[in-house]
Amino acid sequence: MVSKKVTIINPSGVHARPASILSKAATECSSEVLIIHGEKKIQPKSILNLMAAALKKGTEIEVQCSGENEEEDLKKITELIESGLGE
Amino acid sequence: MEKIYVEKTASRGIAVAKIYKYEELDLKPVQNKIQEQDKEGQIGKFLDARECVRGELEKLAAVNEIFSAHLEMVMDFTLEDSVKSKINDESDNAESAVSEAVSEVAAVFEMMDDEYMKERAADIQDIGKRLMAQLKGVPLPDIGNLKEEAIVLAKDLFPSDTVKMDTDYVKGIITEEGGVTSHVSIIAKNMNIPALVGVKGIMDKLNTGDIVCMDAGEGVIIISPEEDVLNEYKQKKQEFENEKQRLEKLRNNPVITKEGKKISLCINAGNAEDIEKALPVKMDGVGLFRSELLYMEKTHFPTEEEQFEVYKRAAMLCPQELTIRTLDIGGDKELPYFDFEKEDNPFLGWRAIRISLEMKDMFKEQLRAILRASAFGNVRIMFPMIISLEELREAKEVVEECKKELREEGKAFCEDIETGMMMETPASVILAEEFAKEADFFSIGTNDLTQYLLAVDRGNKKIADKYSYFHPAVLNAIKHIIDAAHKENIKAGMCGEMAGDVKAAKILLEYGLDEFSMSAGSMDYVREELLKLTGAI
Repeated sequence: MVSKKVTIINPSGVHARPASILSKAATECSSEVLIIHGEKKIQPKSILNLMAAALKKGTEIEVQCSGENEEEDLKKITELIESGLGE
Repeated sequence: MEKIYVEKTASRGIAVAKIYKYEELDLKPVQNKIQEQDKEGQIGKFLDARECVRGELEKLAAVNEIFSAHLEMVMDFTLEDSVKSKINDESDNAESAVSEAVSEVAAVFEMMDDEYMKERAADIQDIGKRLMAQLKGVPLPDIGNLKEEAIVLAKDLFPSDTVKMDTDYVKGIITEEGGVTSHVSIIAKNMNIPALVGVKGIMDKLNTGDIVCMDAGEGVIIISPEEDVLNEYKQKKQEFENEKQRLEKLRNNPVITKEGKKISLCINAGNAEDIEKALPVKMDGVGLFRSELLYMEKTHFPTEEEQFEVYKRAAMLCPQELTIRTLDIGGDKELPYFDFEKEDNPFLGWRAIRISLEMKDMFKEQLRAILRASAFGNVRIMFPMIISLEELREAKEVVEECKKELREEGKAFCEDIETGMMMETPASVILAEEFAKEADFFSIGTNDLTQYLLAVDRGNKKIADKYSYFHPAVLNAIKHIIDAAHKENIKAGMCGEMAGDVKAAKILLEYGLDEFSMSAGSMDYVREELLKLTGAI
């Protein structure tokens, strides 16, 4: 398992559109992807799960990936989050 | 006759029409428990229905982005798992399993503190409705079938309803639920339909065919109006529309002075979205692109690449020029990730070009990004807060340095990019003639200029009456700047509040201002005034 901490930069947090982009990207990953926010575990492959987590701007989260492609997948997901999820 | 006052105006405008009450289908699930051997069949039924909904949504997603999110939601595995477990473990039939699974998810969103997220419960229910209608094999009621002018009344309107709305027939919208940030509000604003939302109890008061007057700007609904009130509103509506149409019609008229010079009408923008939204007002370009917003939104100094993407998009959207002002921070504008030392007089302190020239690496990243964007449109660079020729020269040297680097790296940019300056300090006014020899253009920033010339803090309420760009000292300064520019054959624009003030148009036109840059909302009014003044209308 590999993991990295990143910060949400989207001005209005992870609302519908960024959530849709993130869940699509996570679904494309072959690894198990998990987002840890405080006590909460969020499955980013589920847009509903993601949106329900209501991640706000400035929130620090930990992305965990495990699987054969974990390094690559982690890089992809964290870069996407750092770049503002298409916004 | 009954008059209702409403607080939540979603979209301004006036409508007088019959009500079309848009009521929901009864999509309540059939409640019965199923046998073990039927479980697989019920799951299959759910998956088939979902497949059909997926098909519908894919078509809609091609037209409207919001449905991409719906598509993701309907295919979401947590929803699927929840439906399956209700069928398998609780022996629910497909209909009640879907209904419950959807309500559970929607409830999570409804309980959230965030207004925006609360509204998303509507998205989930919308998907639920699609699935239920599909499972029941009934068509959803279709607002697209409306064939006469009406004010649509509904409990709430979902994206799948509004997407079918025909603006020829839908003259107004009233909903019992929803807030000003809800989907229906956003769509109504985009489609220019007057809308009032969150009108409690209105569904019980009105029926299809009732005549209603609504003034969404004032937040008034009048049910069954008397003859004179009806006529009054019809007239109001006519006036509102005439005014709007008259102004819109003028959008293609260029402003040309009696001497034959074209006046450029530009907008002030903070990001590419501002430009995109303003395109219908037919501006000539962006006279002030406030790059600091890009810096203020981030958690770090934006990289060259991040800036390049934004400037490039803006340049490609711009009909003509895009004037990017380099970082104007300090004063009242701070950055969340940078510690500014506390100053006694921030407006006379370390700000704007003073910061850029000292933090040269950061300045260069910005200039490189702007230069690279200049390959995609007519981009100009503008330096803020200049007080001396040395500063202007130094800033221009850094531009040359960046050009040299880009040349060596083989990166595209416009070699003849114009570099100009804001005229907002008393020093720049007094030295305007000298500056005009070395700058490619001037842009007068009346907000700071007025404050500095009159020594009046514009944030100070006690002396607010002393702050005026009509003060003779400010007017003289403006005239002096424009004359100095014209003497050296460069253009003088203005990007402060004054440029968007209809009352100032006459004097600025007389002074020979070449470019008015203002917020997009002022453009129609200033254009009309200038057209009148130049005798075009």
